[in-house]
Amino acid sequence: MSQTASQLAPGERLRVAVHAVDSPRRVALGRVVAEAGHIVVGIGDAADVVLADGAGPPGETRPVVTLGGADDDLAGVLPRDADASQIDAAIRAVAAGLIVRFLGAREREAGFGAMRESEAHALLTPRELEVLAALAEGMTNKAIARRLDISLHTVKFHVESLFRKLGARTRTEAVAKASERRRRETITL
Amino acid sequence: MTDQADLLAQFSNALAARAEAAKGAVVAIRLAHERHITGMMWRSGIVVASEQSLPRQDEFELVAPGGAIVTAGIAGRDPSTNIAILKPAEAIVSPAIALAEARTGAIALAVGADGTGGASARLGLVNLAGPEWHSSRGGLIDRRIVLDIRLARREEGGPVFDAAGGCLGMSTFGPRGQVIAIPAATLERVVPQLAKDGRIARGWLGVGLQAVAVPDALRDTADQSSGLMVMSVVENGPAAQAGIVAGDIILSVDGTSAHRFRKLARHFGADSIGRKAELRLIRSGAVMTVQTTIAERHAA
Repeated sequence: MSQTASQLAPGERLRVAVHAVDSPRRVALGRVVAEAGHIVVGIGDAADVVLADGAGPPGETRPVVTLGGADDDLAGVLPRDADASQIDAAIRAVAAGLIVRFLGAREREAGFGAMRESEAHALLTPRELEVLAALAEGMTNKAIARRLDISLHTVKFHVESLFRKLGARTRTEAVAKASERRRRETITL
Repeated sequence: MTDQADLLAQFSNALAARAEAAKGAVVAIRLAHERHITGMMWRSGIVVASEQSLPRQDEFELVAPGGAIVTAGIAGRDPSTNIAILKPAEAIVSPAIALAEARTGAIALAVGADGTGGASARLGLVNLAGPEWHSSRGGLIDRRIVLDIRLARREEGGPVFDAAGGCLGMSTFGPRGQVIAIPAATLERVVPQLAKDGRIARGWLGVGLQAVAVPDALRDTADQSSGLMVMSVVENGPAAQAGIVAGDIILSVDGTSAHRFRKLARHFGADSIGRKAELRLIRSGAVMTVQTTIAERHAA
C-alpha cells in the first residue's frame, strides 16, 4: 500500500473480501479497495465486509456491498458503475453497521400508490391559481394587482390564502408546493 | 412445556409445508443482470406479475417450478391496477388456487420465486385490510391490503396466502417500500379482461384535470364547493371536439358530481366508451352544459 493511500484514508483499515465471477473485474475492484487503504482478503478468509459484483455469494452472513445487485436484504447497494470514493464510503458505512442505498435508487421506491386528492379546504380557487401563476413569474403584489385588475389589498388576501392552503411561508415555497401538488394530483381523463 | 413446544413445532411445520406446496405456484421471471422478479401461477396456465416492475419487452424467460426454463410472451398489462399477465410457450402445471378475503390481523404468508425453481417465504400479518381505493393511475383496487412483511425485490409479484391456504392476492410495493397486495378480487376481475383484450379498456375525454374550489360567487348556482378544472385539452380528443377549453371547471358528468375524482372514475369504465355524456361546467363565470361522446383511452 502506498503512503498516499494511507494518508487519503486515515480511518480504520478494513478487511474486505471481493466477490466477482469475472476475473478482471475482481482484480479491478481489489485495486479500488486497496487504494482506499483497506486490506483485500480471500473470500474464505475472515473479512469485515464483502464487496460483491452483482449478486452476492449465496448464504453470505457478513455485510455485503453489492455493485449492480438489487437485493434489499444486502447492507450496501450501489450502482454497477459506482466510483472509488463511493465504494470506499459504502464499505466503511456498512462495516459500521449502517445500510447504504444509492440516491438514484429512490426513484424506484415510488411504488404503486393511491390517487392523491387535496382536502376540500385546501383546494385553490381559479383566482388563486391566477395569482399563483403571477407569483411564479416573480411579479410583485402591485404588478399582480395591475394584471388582474384588483386592489392591492385583494392581492394580499389571495397570497395569504395561498400560503395557508399550500402550507407555505414564502412566495417561492408556495410556487414550489403548488407545482408539486399539480404534478401529483393532475388527473388525465 | 412439552405441549407448547409441540404447538410451536406444529405451527412451524405447517408453515414449511405451505411454503413447500407453494413452490408450484410461483415462477421466476428473469430480468437483465441475473436479476428476477416473481410471477404467480393463475388459472388456465396464465402467469400474473407486478406491472410496475416488469420491463417493457414482449418476451421473458421463466424459471418454472422445478427449474425448467420456459419462454413466455406478455399477453396484457394494465398499469392502472399494476397487473401484467404472461402466457408461457409450454404449459406449466400448477396447483389450483383458492381465493380468500384479507382480514386485518390475520397471518399472511408471502411466497416468492428463488430463481432456480424453488420458493422463498415471508411470514407476517395483514397489517390492514381496508376499503377499495383508486390508484394514482386511475385503476380501482377492490381492497386496501397492507402487509406487515418485508419483501425482497425478487419476491415481488408472488402470491400471498392466509392461514387456510387461500390466496389473498399478489404482493407488490407501494410508496416508500411499503408492501401491499393487489387483492385476489381485483386479479379475478382484471386478468380475464387482460387475457381477452391485452389491455383494460377505459373511457376517455382527452383532458388534464385538477381539483379546484368553486369561487364563492358561483357556489349557489353550481350547488357544489369544488370541481375539476381543465388544465390541458388533447387536440382532436372528445373534449376538444365538444369545445371544452382550458380553464373550464367541470362540475358533473351525467349528473355524477366531479366534486371528487374517485366518484367520477367509475363513470369511465369500459362500458362508457361510445356513450354520449353531458358535462355541466363553469365557463366565464356562468354554469352551462356541453355534450360530448366518450372515446376509448389508449395506452400512454
